[in-house]
Amino acid sequence: MSRPSRAALAAIGIGVSASSAVADEFPIMDHSRPVHCMKDTRGDMWRIQCDHAAKVCLYAASEELDSTGERAKPLERVRDCDPMPIARAKLEEDGYQFLPGRADAPWGWTRDERGRVFQINFDLKRRLYFGVGYTPQKVLDNLDDPFQNKRSSLDFGMLVLDFMTGEDTKNPTRHRLRFLEGEVHVEPFSAQLVVAHYDLSHRFIDPLLRITTFVGTPQRHDLTLDLGLWSEAGGLEIHPTPIGHSSIWKHAQAAITLDLWQSPRMDSFIRVRSGMGLEGQHTDGTGYRSAITETSAFEVDWVVDDEGFHNVRFEVVHELPRYFVPLIGGQKLAQRMRARLQYEAIVLAINDQPLTFKLAAGGEKRDDIFGVPDRWAFVMDAGLRFSLWAPPRPPSGPIRAAL
Amino acid sequence: VKAALAIAAATAFAGSAAADPCTGVSSAGRFALCFDPGNRLSITAGSDGFGATLALRHEIHFDDEPDLVWRLEHTLLDATHAGIENRFSGSLYRAHFIRHARDGHIVIPVGRPKKVFLPFDIGAFAEVGRVTWSDDSAARLGIVNVAGLVDLARAHSFRGRLAIGPSARWAVDLEQMRALGDHHVSAFTTGMISLHGESSNGRLVGDLRTEGGMVWHTGRGWEAEVTGEATLERIMLAINDRPIALSLGVRYASETDEAMARVGARIVLAQRRDPRVSLQ
Repeated sequence: MSRPSRAALAAIGIGVSASSAVADEFPIMDHSRPVHCMKDTRGDMWRIQCDHAAKVCLYAASEELDSTGERAKPLERVRDCDPMPIARAKLEEDGYQFLPGRADAPWGWTRDERGRVFQINFDLKRRLYFGVGYTPQKVLDNLDDPFQNKRSSLDFGMLVLDFMTGEDTKNPTRHRLRFLEGEVHVEPFSAQLVVAHYDLSHRFIDPLLRITTFVGTPQRHDLTLDLGLWSEAGGLEIHPTPIGHSSIWKHAQAAITLDLWQSPRMDSFIRVRSGMGLEGQHTDGTGYRSAITETSAFEVDWVVDDEGFHNVRFEVVHELPRYFVPLIGGQKLAQRMRARLQYEAIVLAINDQPLTFKLAAGGEKRDDIFGVPDRWAFVMDAGLRFSLWAPPRPPSGPIRAAL
Repeated sequence: VKAALAIAAATAFAGSAAADPCTGVSSAGRFALCFDPGNRLSITAGSDGFGATLALRHEIHFDDEPDLVWRLEHTLLDATHAGIENRFSGSLYRAHFIRHARDGHIVIPVGRPKKVFLPFDIGAFAEVGRVTWSDDSAARLGIVNVAGLVDLARAHSFRGRLAIGPSARWAVDLEQMRALGDHHVSAFTTGMISLHGESSNGRLVGDLRTEGGMVWHTGRGWEAEVTGEATLERIMLAINDRPIALSLGVRYASETDEAMARVGARIVLAQRRDPRVSLQ
């Protein structure tokens, strides 16, 4: 406990001695329970919250304290408080203990002992982000010198926005929008970009099929299919080739998704998807050719903790572009496979805007680009991302009801 | 008709009997003395050609944290064509986002989270879809240009910004349909300075944005580059309270070693009236 804070709390004028304070810890008031206000003998306002079962009342100044312990300005992000209905003396007579605490803060926020509020819960599925990373060389993209190891990368997402509809019903839907999301690597150059992405997950309360078995005691088995949609438009991949670059223009893709698992708010999921897309490949020296692409994928998106600090993504994608014009080898059907695992964790927040550490590993195998060997190539990324917005994650149902 | 076409010479307002600092009064009626340069649809004509732009800006406030405000400035479809020459520059979307708070801070989420205070606001610059071409150079598409900014000015309004920060961008030369040329990438290896100032009545506005650092090109590797652009606008008169401004600008790019100065006029077609103006 800092000296100024101890001094400030010891100066409480309502007759509670600092010696009764818990020396090292100031419990924070519960934002879901009533808070009352009381003036001390000097006229300063205090916030009080009593636990009548434990007969403990927490008190905190109704203003932020400066570094000297003086009241500096009104508390931010506090609720209005009602006057204290019972006199302090009466409560003490009844055996109540008064302890210094921290004023209540809304969901996703907390306060330090000086009453300063700050965010401790972040929704990385609602943000604008950009980041920089270090990417050890990927063999696929560097055929001349596979041990070259000097490339950096940047990634960006101009808008990442998830939102729910029908949240208070038994059939909620989660919508996921992404605009202009991508990454760029230099030395050698490769890039991928998606202009617009939209997918949705829906929770079906009624089973698509219910199977009753009559062997032994009749039993009912429900088969619920949480189907959804997935779509992207304006995708672009650029890869180096021995004679230049190959650009794959993914004009539009659409797929059906099947959620194998959903978290209560559907911000975490395990799913498979399958669909079709229209794309074209322009490779230096060979020109442009169009294709219809069959795509299948297995995806995991998992927000590990309630505060949103740890985020894991994993995907395995299999694509089969069927070209209208044969490739160099004469075949019209090509194959692409890739897998990627990404972990992103919040390191710190600057003005309540999170800075995250990203660690990713992936592999890729493809035979659609002339000159690129048809073998697995692996890559790792490590970097930092800065996010704007990232409000607190919405509370889950029971907590939301309590708030 | 006379009343409708009443021209308020902004420079002559001092002689009028002003009801308040933002509203002038003459025998013909009231007229605006203050303008909102951040919310307008305007066209330009000048030595660099003809253009148009849509500017929008707004604030987001929070009832439970009055000291916090997000200031969002958007510029959409900002384009200029030289007219008789084959030269074009345009941007699909450009924005400054500044989070202004009375207390800047870093939260360190180790153990019980700690709060360390900082003397600046934070924000970002983002530009998407910048296109340039001319007879002398290939068309270039700026796919994305972003910067994380710290705003040292910490102004309480849109009228001031002194922001610096690391920037990143990805641009590509367009050779022909679906064929991409050289790529130009800064992976936060450049820095940006973004200055903005405007008078309290909105009649004088200045902007400076410069980026410098190392940029990687697919054809040439890493090169040191500097780009900069400064503009100054002064509203000289208004027609039906829609301002016409004299615009001066200068632009420099070290990659092409090209410096260009321009002078022209900005004519506002539609605008959000400054809320301080009372014409009733």
